[in-house]
Amino acid sequence: MDIIQFVLVPQILNGLTIGIAVVLVALGMTIIFGLLDVINMAHGEFYALGGYLAISLLACGMNFWVTLLAVPLLMLPVGYLTERFFIQRVFHSQDRHILTLLLTLGISIILQDIFKLGYGPNTLRVQMPISGGTEFFGVFLPNYRAFILVTGSLIILGTWFLIYKTSLGAMIRASAFDKEMAGSLGVPVRQIYAGTFAFGVALAGVSGVLLAPLYSVFPTMGHDFILMAFVVVIVGGMGSLVGTVVAGLLLTQVQSISSLFISPALAEPLVFSIMIVVLIFRPQGLFGKIGTG
Amino acid sequence: MRIKSFRMLKRYAAVTCIIPVVLTVLLVVTGSSIAAEVLKVGILTPLSKTYAPIGQQVRWGIELAAKQINAQGGIAGRQVELIFEDSEANPAVATQKAEKLFQKDNVDFLTGTVNSGATLAVGQIAERNNKLIATTVSISGKITGSGCSPNVFRVNAHAGMQANALANWLAGQQPGGQVYYIGPDYEMGRNAVASFRKQAELNKLKSVGEVFAPLGNNDYSPYFGKIRSSRPDILYTSVAGNDTVRLFSQLNEYNMLKKLLVIGASVSVTSQNITAMGNNAENFVTVSGYSPELDTPANKTFVSDFNAAYQSNPDLYGADSYGLLWLYKAAVEKAGSSSTEAVREALEGLTWDTPQGQKIMRAEDHQAQADLFVVKVKGGKFVILDGVAGDIAIGKDTCKHF
Repeated sequence: MDIIQFVLVPQILNGLTIGIAVVLVALGMTIIFGLLDVINMAHGEFYALGGYLAISLLACGMNFWVTLLAVPLLMLPVGYLTERFFIQRVFHSQDRHILTLLLTLGISIILQDIFKLGYGPNTLRVQMPISGGTEFFGVFLPNYRAFILVTGSLIILGTWFLIYKTSLGAMIRASAFDKEMAGSLGVPVRQIYAGTFAFGVALAGVSGVLLAPLYSVFPTMGHDFILMAFVVVIVGGMGSLVGTVVAGLLLTQVQSISSLFISPALAEPLVFSIMIVVLIFRPQGLFGKIGTG
Repeated sequence: MRIKSFRMLKRYAAVTCIIPVVLTVLLVVTGSSIAAEVLKVGILTPLSKTYAPIGQQVRWGIELAAKQINAQGGIAGRQVELIFEDSEANPAVATQKAEKLFQKDNVDFLTGTVNSGATLAVGQIAERNNKLIATTVSISGKITGSGCSPNVFRVNAHAGMQANALANWLAGQQPGGQVYYIGPDYEMGRNAVASFRKQAELNKLKSVGEVFAPLGNNDYSPYFGKIRSSRPDILYTSVAGNDTVRLFSQLNEYNMLKKLLVIGASVSVTSQNITAMGNNAENFVTVSGYSPELDTPANKTFVSDFNAAYQSNPDLYGADSYGLLWLYKAAVEKAGSSSTEAVREALEGLTWDTPQGQKIMRAEDHQAQADLFVVKVKGGKFVILDGVAGDIAIGKDTCKHF
């Protein structure tokens, strides 16, 4: 009884909140990959940028909840301009995969150094906006984690709704499936590309704000977190929304529960081995791309 | 045509007459630089990543000491030049940069390594290059114990010394208390936990479990279930740097700070990460070789100089790094040379002054002997609860390599 109440149930709940956090970060990455066929190596730094923008806005006296709305709005033009001015320049080249990979890697290094120069190398903490916790049947869940669980799920559902249930989403999916055909039918493909990139970046930004009170803000935060998001995108099937959610929740549960029985240092290799197994037996990932089906 | 060649001749004359002037200037410059050749000290310290806050203090401490030493006329008449490299607290990066500092920059002395793994690795490179290094931060017992090297010195207290003092204090406070241990999964984290655990058990405290999280871990909550079900009274942590900020805020989130007495290694809470932790670090108890609250004239001058220069209080690392350069000065001046052999001999058994009082460099294992303090975080400051004499804390010499 003790082990279920104290260990197993909280562990699963914990794994769930971490899972939602990872899915939030991976979601933008998967959309950008699914549509543009660009592996955005700077995604972690856009996540960090969200955290740093929050720090600045909070320092200006803004309320946390306003920040939570303001940061993704500020991130939209950042993403839009990045796509128009940088990604588009190499997008039509023969070596698109390598060039965009190197380009976004370069952007990530530059951003990381900008954070270090602008805000210093030290960790900055964001005050917990909701304190306290709820205890039911001896299982303790901090209120802010419960809030992340709900808000995160809503953002994920909202994204799914946007892509699969709206006409804008239909245009996005059409552009991903066949950009020439979509273009000839009057879909503004270039605007869709830049807009989707901006949307993915804004998702990274909102995750940065949401997770800042939990994980604090520091220059390498994106780099540290993005590895897990990467694995999730690969296992879920590059560019699949459902796949990202399933893989994100599954892998964080594996990590969370296995760390009860094996050394936490081994939990990470375990997750990576799952990725390798998936790559060997199902290289397209568990689910298909956005544009298909 | 004539005019043109005359002009050329004039230009030629001007050029030829400049050459001897340039040569003379060069001669004077090189001559004077040979007369007072600078002493180069390499500072290989984490300026980025999770241990950057510690590297920042190391840098400030050394820079302040260098500024003061140079203003007083340098070391044996030679000015000190500092060369910084970012070790990223990664042994692989540290070894590459150490080779660069020894081979290319030709430094006379190297310090600044924080990560114990990096110190051990850089120590081996120093041995191969026949140069001396000193750490002012690394606390793994191995560095001056089983992995000791004739080329490596340590001026700060190691994990065993801290553990001795802390376990003694804890046994007096909570006799028979149950202790859970959490640390980062690498050399320092495991060594600190192991040495404290040994001392705690010798002092009749009960160990109820331990967990090692990866360095740079984001979320510690997956380990809290295990900790809660073991029902400890005391949580010992050797988690350091930015990781501590997350650990403490997550402990607070799960309401565990109120139920547990949190104690730990001196690397856990420092003046660099304490502001980021806010109230979460309150009541944390550790043993430290230094506190800015130390009430001695030498320390008061040091703290005010440090504050004037960097608008921040020094911590253990700042103070120990500051003290190290004065040790090096004392050794070079005693040896009358900066050669490795002479300085090594001079360092062994040397007594020198630091902001926290006199220290002695033990010749047998190159471990400095210094007084320790049990300190508690109160209102964001380290308040001294108790003092432990250096000769009791230092323990036996276990170095067998020289």
